[in-house]
Amino acid sequence: MGFPIYGFLKFPMEVLVLLLVCLSNISSCVAYSSASSSFDTTMHTNNWAVLVCTSRFWFNYRHMANTLSLYRTVKRLGIPDERIILMLADDMACNARNKYPAQVFNNENHKLNLYGDNVEVDYRGYEVTVENFLRVLTGRHETAVPRSKRLLSDEGSHILLYMTGHGGDEFLKFQDSEELQSHDLADAVKQMKEKRRFKELLIMVDTCQAATLFSQLHSPGVLAIGSSMKGENSYSHHLDLDVGVSVVDRFTFYTLAFFERLNMYDNASLSSLFNSYDPNKLMSTAYYRMDLYQRRLEEVPVTNFFGSVMETIHTESGYRSKPSKMPLGQSVRDSDRRVLRNSHNEDGISNQITEEYLQGSGRYIWNAILGNADTVENVDAFVCYGLLLMLPLLLLSTWLSR
Amino acid sequence: MDVPPKSSFILFLLFWFPIISSLIAVRSDFGEEEFSEDLLLKPLPDRKVLAHFHFQSRAPLSDSFGRHHHLFPKAISQLVQKFNVKAMELSFTQGRWNYERWGGFDPISSSNAKPPGVELWAVFNVPPSQVDTYWKNLTHSLSGLFCASINFLESSTFYSAPEIAFPPASGNLRYGTLPREAVCTENLTPWLKLLPCRDKAGLSSLMNRPSIYRSFYHSQRLRLTLSNSAADELNSGIVLEQTLTVLLQPQIVGAGMNYGSEKKLQPSWSLSSIFGRKVNGRCVLATSSSVFLQIDGDLFTQLENLQKNTAIYAADDIGAEELTSNHGFELSIKPDRVHKEVEKGSSILYEYEIKEYTDTEQFDLSLTWKHPVVWSSPLPPLHASRFLMGSGNERGAMAISLKQTEPTGGFVCANCVEERCELQVNVLQIVPWYIKVYYHTLQLFVNEQRQAVTDFVEKMRVSPSEDKVSPGLMELVLKFPCDLKSAVLSVEFDKGFLHIDEYPPDANQGFDIPSAIISFPNFHAGLQFPDNSSLSKSPMFSKLQEKSHVLSYTEVLLVPLTTPDFSMPYNVITITCTVFALYFGSLLNVLRRRVEEEKKRLIDEANKKGLLRRVLTKLTAKFRRRSSEDPQPPSASSSSIMSPRLILKVLIVAGIAVVWQYYSR
Repeated sequence: MGFPIYGFLKFPMEVLVLLLVCLSNISSCVAYSSASSSFDTTMHTNNWAVLVCTSRFWFNYRHMANTLSLYRTVKRLGIPDERIILMLADDMACNARNKYPAQVFNNENHKLNLYGDNVEVDYRGYEVTVENFLRVLTGRHETAVPRSKRLLSDEGSHILLYMTGHGGDEFLKFQDSEELQSHDLADAVKQMKEKRRFKELLIMVDTCQAATLFSQLHSPGVLAIGSSMKGENSYSHHLDLDVGVSVVDRFTFYTLAFFERLNMYDNASLSSLFNSYDPNKLMSTAYYRMDLYQRRLEEVPVTNFFGSVMETIHTESGYRSKPSKMPLGQSVRDSDRRVLRNSHNEDGISNQITEEYLQGSGRYIWNAILGNADTVENVDAFVCYGLLLMLPLLLLSTWLSR
Repeated sequence: MDVPPKSSFILFLLFWFPIISSLIAVRSDFGEEEFSEDLLLKPLPDRKVLAHFHFQSRAPLSDSFGRHHHLFPKAISQLVQKFNVKAMELSFTQGRWNYERWGGFDPISSSNAKPPGVELWAVFNVPPSQVDTYWKNLTHSLSGLFCASINFLESSTFYSAPEIAFPPASGNLRYGTLPREAVCTENLTPWLKLLPCRDKAGLSSLMNRPSIYRSFYHSQRLRLTLSNSAADELNSGIVLEQTLTVLLQPQIVGAGMNYGSEKKLQPSWSLSSIFGRKVNGRCVLATSSSVFLQIDGDLFTQLENLQKNTAIYAADDIGAEELTSNHGFELSIKPDRVHKEVEKGSSILYEYEIKEYTDTEQFDLSLTWKHPVVWSSPLPPLHASRFLMGSGNERGAMAISLKQTEPTGGFVCANCVEERCELQVNVLQIVPWYIKVYYHTLQLFVNEQRQAVTDFVEKMRVSPSEDKVSPGLMELVLKFPCDLKSAVLSVEFDKGFLHIDEYPPDANQGFDIPSAIISFPNFHAGLQFPDNSSLSKSPMFSKLQEKSHVLSYTEVLLVPLTTPDFSMPYNVITITCTVFALYFGSLLNVLRRRVEEEKKRLIDEANKKGLLRRVLTKLTAKFRRRSSEDPQPPSASSSSIMSPRLILKVLIVAGIAVVWQYYSR
């Protein structure tokens, strides 16, 4: 009798195994997505910069010069033009009042033409509005809007958001006709976080009372630098008598002075940038908001935001086409020259990832299941799947016992 | 032994034939895609120099069309493919073309003089119902491609569909302008990136940004034409024409000014003095690369006269030599070819072919004037201008005036009707919706006398503006007699109000009315060269010979609209709040006040105060009395040693003593 029963049992056993495999696949998929959604595991994939000059009219020349100086700096440090969204509210370079057509200077020595031959302005003139700015940040565009005008960042992106113009307590003026409130900015950043549009965001603002603009921020991964505290003004640095107007603001001037010493491979940390601001020189107190940022500033190089330097992950095996997770752009040539002293945890994760890539997919799934089981957060899902798994077993046993 | 090699050779041929043939096919394919670069230089009567760059790329309509290109810019071919563009023209212009001084009857002015700002028109190859959506998407793509706010043209208030008065008129045409768009380096750079050599080699390397943007007028144009006629194999394909027209002022060198003579000498110039750069060589990818120097017809006759007057040379032998060695000016380099127009008193073209130059020997054409010459540019049939009339912020009127340019009068028109010489003028006027034009007020003054409009209007198409939806469009085909002295078209309008959101940030500057287009379909600008001189393969040379309509743009008008004081809401709020506060405050005060009770209370308070004061004075008096009397009763009740006052005194003295001790030590 035993043998036929065994034969009888064999089929359900196969079904059971199949079911098990299916379920484990589902759970692994869930585990996979949940793992990628969690903050720590995403890797730094690319760098973006959104540079905004919000002031119209000739006497605000310095704001455009500020923005263009930053544009030049981030371009020099490796962010390509297609990852820079440049918004300039007015045309200063070819303004009729400009004595030097097609040139913009940020210093009275006129050594450096910021406008150069290869500048890509994405939003200009009347297009620089609060609406367009928030659309760029949140990525809610009309379908026809070309890619060059969109911020196509992902969950591994580091974004530098630089804004300059005239501001006040919790607002920044756009073209003297609209205002961006600190609440709007905070909401946009929160939406970006929800949409996984950035991993880390550095907001740098050079306006009067810049610190007040950050008061409503509460999304993790955001770092903010403002040129002045509440009740303080931010001043221009110097006047160019040839151009006839002030050409640069103090905060930006000293930021640039810091960056001029650096190249792509320098390891200067954010804290050294923050410490370089001297309140006596700025004539205002630079304000940093660091409570939303997890990493220690001493360990974060400035090129994390102001440049585009990728970490390189060395894999023994050849390239395997696995979806997502692997960084998109990796600059191999930097690997030997540059040794990052930050992000030990990321290194650990990347090692783990590469390990997983080396092993077979089955092993990978099993690891994912194990990892999922370990995490306390997913215990509910695990119990649910366990119960689901129990159901066919119960059915099977009742069916067998009949 | 003889046979095997032969058979092997055949085998070899058989084996290699497909590859070789495919290679040849590829070569021929490659040959079909063409690029050429040209530069036209022309001295102008008002001491300026016109430089007109002309780049032309052509791609055949083949299977690989849109996928892979050797020379043709991929971005443009994708644009053509995606939006079904049949023809398109986009121009970025800064400055206004001066038709009187710089010419209005030559190919350059009629096709390259553009209205300030951005002008875009496109003809689509789609059903009429879909044209608008294609137009919108095209404007967005172009704005991304050329770093400009062309996407504002997507709004239906900015574009319209002219049908009869615009030269490339066709059912699927859309036309829009942005008169206030700034033009700068960021627009030129992507335009240059469409060229195979960019601005690294060839003629485009002359484009030094500061010298271009210092110019009096610069217009950067991109024109696309798609022709897929199966019969005409040669001309089918996409043709991309990129032109840059710059008007530069040569810097006056001390030697150039001759104060001795009454008439001032024209400033001499060279490529390096006007651009700050020299040509290093041709773009190797270009099939033809040449520089032309055009001498206007009038200038040539003036020079001839000069030569006759000076009579140094008996001008017996008039030939090519004669043309090159003029006595009014001198060229640094001998031209490769000289083209002379067939008609007498017409212009001359000197042609230079650009070859490879080394760093030591660069192409730097210079023109040195030897004698002062005064000449004039070819003028348009009628000089068109537009102006505003009326005052105030409520209503106004707009007039287009056409004046005869030739003082003698009478035109030599191309297709005159036998008994009556007629001059046809097409007028296209697009007005934004906030200028509410009353078309019934259209008046026509011919030779300063009011005439019925219907006598002169051949055809008319008006589509009135719709608030916040579409602009007003007026197209007129007018026919005037040839002895016309002047004609004025005027129309009245009301100024509308915008919603507070619709005002631009600099509304105080006023609002622009785009240029009107005046075209003369009976007149054709085009140089006519004898057939044998068409040795030049340059596309610009053939472009100059092309018969194009004479066209002129009028001025952009600036209309001040009633702009609200944007701080007004704030002022209103504060004033109304103050008024309300005053009103309600005093009202409540009056209502709540009970005069009788308050009086009583005041009296009571006064009484209370008096009582208090009385009590106080009584008390103090008592205390004083008691203090004066007191020493006896306590001494009587307790011993004088235990008296607290005494203890206090002792303590104070002790304290002083301690402090004294402490400090003295």
